[in-house]
Amino acid sequence: MSLKIFKINEALKEFVPSEIVDLEEKATWGNPKRGIWDLPYAKELVEEHSLCAGCPESLAFRYILASLPNPEDTIIINSTGCTSLVFPHIALHTVHSLFGNQNAIASGIKRTLEWRFPDKVKDVVVLAGDGATVDIGLECTLHSFFRQERITTICFDNEVYANTGGQESGLTVKGQIFKMAPKGKQWDKVPMWQLAIDSGCHYVARLTVSSPKRVEKVIKQAIYVAREVGPTYVHLYTPCILEIGLNSDDALEEMRGRDKERFKFFEYISEKAKEVIERKKQEGLI
Amino acid sequence: MYYVAQVIRDECTKYNCKQCTLFCTEPNTLMYTDEGHHAYVITERCKGCALCVYVCSTLLKRDSIEMVYAENRDVAGVR
Repeated sequence: MSLKIFKINEALKEFVPSEIVDLEEKATWGNPKRGIWDLPYAKELVEEHSLCAGCPESLAFRYILASLPNPEDTIIINSTGCTSLVFPHIALHTVHSLFGNQNAIASGIKRTLEWRFPDKVKDVVVLAGDGATVDIGLECTLHSFFRQERITTICFDNEVYANTGGQESGLTVKGQIFKMAPKGKQWDKVPMWQLAIDSGCHYVARLTVSSPKRVEKVIKQAIYVAREVGPTYVHLYTPCILEIGLNSDDALEEMRGRDKERFKFFEYISEKAKEVIERKKQEGLI
Repeated sequence: MYYVAQVIRDECTKYNCKQCTLFCTEPNTLMYTDEGHHAYVITERCKGCALCVYVCSTLLKRDSIEMVYAENRDVAGVR
């Protein structure tokens, strides 16, 4: 990959949709200092999508894609879920394989890229929901951490299987009632951030997407640490407003409320990761 | 018939916060112009969730965005 893949043949430019032309002319490629403050002005790397009006997951997508330090050389690995509705609309290379094997696919791609392009930085980022990360794909996820694969795993935790009608997931909180969990969940929420630490991740963060600047900082730190040290894990709370019975403009209030409770900002940084983060801060990249 | 967001220019130009552009859930829908010193809505992309109104009015008390019937909107996304 290179920036050239986003160049449009001049002879065909008049026939190309304006959104694609904007990607070449107004998107922030080749700038590691890009971030959420490009959002009011620049062309974003995600286009119109089919997520519900007011869905916090789409906020998360906007912040993550605006914060990638090296989007032209980043590969996104995704999995089944609400998030998979968005991947056809993002301007990066994405791979959607089986439900739950996203971290295994990412491991293979990262190793191959390191072998094929030893002199280039290639970031591999996994974006998946709570069902793919913690239920169906837990084995692949944890084993990629055990193997110290240099990938960033980002979990969109909406605490439910949302687009299949509202079944409980491993990340649903105890007692929560959904349409297809009428008795309420009987067991506690899986502490995935703690499992990630115990499994060898060098940088782990748990937060909501109520603070764009915080999300940007966390994503950049996670990617820089994954590049040089080992696996990193980011746990984002992106509530499903439909399944918990909220209106489309209630998402931010819901996340701000959870900021003080079970999604209070939490960050774990290993000693090796601290060195990388300090260096990147001195370089002005975080 | 549905609602879309529309920026109130005279109110928005008093501030330089751009917070609505960050909290819009749709990409490239709420943008900001430095020349005009105000945000504006690309109304064809707006799904009408009103999260921007929550940010602008409830959180920031700036009342610079309103929801209007799509058929009554200003196509510039600002009035």
